[in-house]
Amino acid sequence: MNGSAPLPRGRRPRDLEPLFKVLVAAAIAVPLLVFVLYPLVHILGRSFQTPDGLGLANYAAVMGTQRFMRLVYNSFEVTVVTTVITVVLAYGFAYAVQRTCMPLKNLFRLIALIPLFAPSLVQAQGLVLMLGRNGLVNRTLGTDFSIYGYWGIVISSVLYVFPYAFLIFSASLALADNRLYESSRILGAGPLRTFWTVTLPSTRFALIASTFVVFTLVITDFGNPMVVGGDYSVLATEVYNQVIGQANFELGTVIGMVLLAPVAVAVAFEKWINRRSHAQISEGSQPLSVRPNPLRDRVFTAYSALICLAILSVVGIVIFASFTHLWPYRMEFSLRHYRFDVQGGIQPLWNSITIGLMAAGVGVVAAGLAAYVTEKFRTVLDSPLYFLCIVPAAVPGMVLGLGYILAFNAPGNPIYPLYGTLFLIAICNVYYYHAQGFLIASTSMKQISHTFDEASSTLGATFLRTMRKVTLPLMWPTLVGVAVFFFMRSMVTLSAVIFLITPSTQVAAVSVLFLEDRGAVNQAAAFSVCIMAVVVAVLIVARLVLNFFGHRHISLIR
Amino acid sequence: MTMLGSFALRCMLACAVVCCTALGFSPSQAHANEITVYTSYEEDEAAAFLAAMQRDLPDLRVNMLRLSTGDLHARMLAEAANPRHDVIWGWAVTNMVDPRVLAMLEPYEPQGIERVPARFRDPEGRWFAKTGYMAAFCVNNEVLQRRNLPMPTSWADLLKPEFQGEVVMPNPASSGTGYLQIASILQMKGEDAGWDFLRELDRNIAQYIKSGSRPCNVASAGEFAVGASFALRAIKNIDEGYPITMVIPAEGAGNELEATGLMRSSRNKEAAKRFIDWTLSEAAVEEYYKWKEIVTVSGGTMPESFIKAGLPEDIGSVMVDMDFDWSAANRDRILRQWQDELER
Repeated sequence: MNGSAPLPRGRRPRDLEPLFKVLVAAAIAVPLLVFVLYPLVHILGRSFQTPDGLGLANYAAVMGTQRFMRLVYNSFEVTVVTTVITVVLAYGFAYAVQRTCMPLKNLFRLIALIPLFAPSLVQAQGLVLMLGRNGLVNRTLGTDFSIYGYWGIVISSVLYVFPYAFLIFSASLALADNRLYESSRILGAGPLRTFWTVTLPSTRFALIASTFVVFTLVITDFGNPMVVGGDYSVLATEVYNQVIGQANFELGTVIGMVLLAPVAVAVAFEKWINRRSHAQISEGSQPLSVRPNPLRDRVFTAYSALICLAILSVVGIVIFASFTHLWPYRMEFSLRHYRFDVQGGIQPLWNSITIGLMAAGVGVVAAGLAAYVTEKFRTVLDSPLYFLCIVPAAVPGMVLGLGYILAFNAPGNPIYPLYGTLFLIAICNVYYYHAQGFLIASTSMKQISHTFDEASSTLGATFLRTMRKVTLPLMWPTLVGVAVFFFMRSMVTLSAVIFLITPSTQVAAVSVLFLEDRGAVNQAAAFSVCIMAVVVAVLIVARLVLNFFGHRHISLIR
Repeated sequence: MTMLGSFALRCMLACAVVCCTALGFSPSQAHANEITVYTSYEEDEAAAFLAAMQRDLPDLRVNMLRLSTGDLHARMLAEAANPRHDVIWGWAVTNMVDPRVLAMLEPYEPQGIERVPARFRDPEGRWFAKTGYMAAFCVNNEVLQRRNLPMPTSWADLLKPEFQGEVVMPNPASSGTGYLQIASILQMKGEDAGWDFLRELDRNIAQYIKSGSRPCNVASAGEFAVGASFALRAIKNIDEGYPITMVIPAEGAGNELEATGLMRSSRNKEAAKRFIDWTLSEAAVEEYYKWKEIVTVSGGTMPESFIKAGLPEDIGSVMVDMDFDWSAANRDRILRQWQDELER
């Protein structure tokens, strides 16, 4: 590939570089402005629109009610509890995978990621099949408990967001400097002390990042609360209610704006931590070597097996239900649910695959470059760019989708030609999941010491050359992970696209929702199984391609 | 190949994909025989209707978007500046008469409109209703037996203390079926007595569910004993083999009509009119009788399975005489009061 990219050969005047960097940063900010901020501003404007002109009447109407305070309380209660449980469980699991000599690591890792392969609805659906009032457990044991409500939401949400937190911790725990651990051992520190003084501090950033990601995912998810929440209403379901049920865009946008509030706090906090974080891989680093420890390894194997059992049983029961004649009354094997009689049959699956591929291509470039620029360029645009990059995490998908309709469905708008295309749905997915993709990339980028860049730059390399020679070789596995991440999310996402689908751009996850809504629970399960099959197939293909190019040692999803 | 090589390759591939899709998926100019139809007919019935339509009008290409009543309302208002569809087909009259929706419609008198009785048409010709649906309970026989509950026959039966936590109902704020149920109760009993009844019923309600068909589905799955839903869902679930009984409330069944209208903004009115004409043809009416409990156009008989499921042949005898104008005019106020008092 020599000469395929017009690389400057050290002849570029060095004083032009800062200007160039600012321009690149600005160029990266433009799509974020167009596809995130512009629709949000539209929504914001709508939230101030009242029959009597601009005003705060919508806000007063929503926030003045007791019900709203209850919703806020419910949302935070569920979200905080879910976040704490998920972060603790996922940290332990990632630790088991990266820092112990547990057997079957790859299998455990794959099982932990299964929730990413299916629409979030499936977690709740599996939970109801298993623990519902007429679920497997109650039917078998003759008990009579109900999963609907608070604990239903918490359990299904933990299962839903577990892989997100795991991915971040796993990426962070994968990198470590063996010298620190050697020193700690030689100085006589026990494993616990080493954990508290070396491991935990070195994963501070991942802890903050995953808390942030999990928190915002849970507080804005409406799929799980809708299926198992019963009457335990949360803010996200209220947005769904207000907009879908009552065509009340103004009130829906108010609550959407209220959901944006936590992000400001999270961003400020994360920024503060960020300034204090330091790279843990430097030029003298040695890769970590994990020594076997029978007791530790056995405990972590049991722990991981338990978590995998929980994940597998919830997804497994959905797969099982898709092959039964009529759950839970006629359990004999049947393939009849795989004769999809929805409009367009299996076409939505192909649409989803197309969208997923486009989102992966666009997403890896957008999130990867954004992470690189904010981490390495140190321009004046850093802070605003960083804010733009993570703002989507706090935007409920349906608010973003609604914003796309309100903003782009106007013939005068330059984006209008894209409206009603699969490509706009792909763009919407990229920017809806931008924060997570960006954080995965930047968590990993943060751990590459600046001294690499400084050395490279001192030796006279331009930043493009540094990127090529230093950053990309280190980042490559993470970028593949980011691409796979965008593909998987696009295959299974529901909330952002529900407003953007048109008759010719129906997507698979929405088909699952419609089938579920129609009561074809087994068929919905069957469609989910197809989605999971596609995601797994793509993972296998990506694995084979990586192996072909000699990256056999690299784990695909980090 | 170097790492950068494959990265560059990926970038180029991504750009190629972007360009191809931007070009390839741009909204093509509407073909002469292509229209977009928005509907709230259930997925399976809409598919059957379209298949029949395709036999009669093989050259007409219909892109159909199926969303539930409330979803479609939200979507059409969001797209009002530049509507994407040519026809609204089979959508609740209560929502259709929203002034913001009416303003989007163009008066049109399709061939055969005289088959639709005048009371099922807009006086100004903007919509006509040829089908409808009515409220019914889905009662799970297995759960009744297990919990030793009597078979309920009326709304009043659902007030019995033994049904506490066993009844699910749609949330009227999001579900068209939910709204027609409480509107029928308020119309039958008068507003004061009606609200008292709803407050009392609330004590036994396990959940208000955000869709009209789900209460029947969760009752069919055995999660709850009684799901207040609509008749067709019950009939279809009985066909599927679920152990449920359809109960039409003795007080009378609330009902809703499904209307059709032509969009003023349609870029392909000739094709849209051909489609609307077809919806009143013999073949269409024949299909309605196979799928709908209420058909306003005469010329068919009720299928055996409907009667076996418990639907009376003279369906008018069990239906509440709904005042749709009242339902539409008071929708905002009733929903607000329901939310203030009863929403959870």
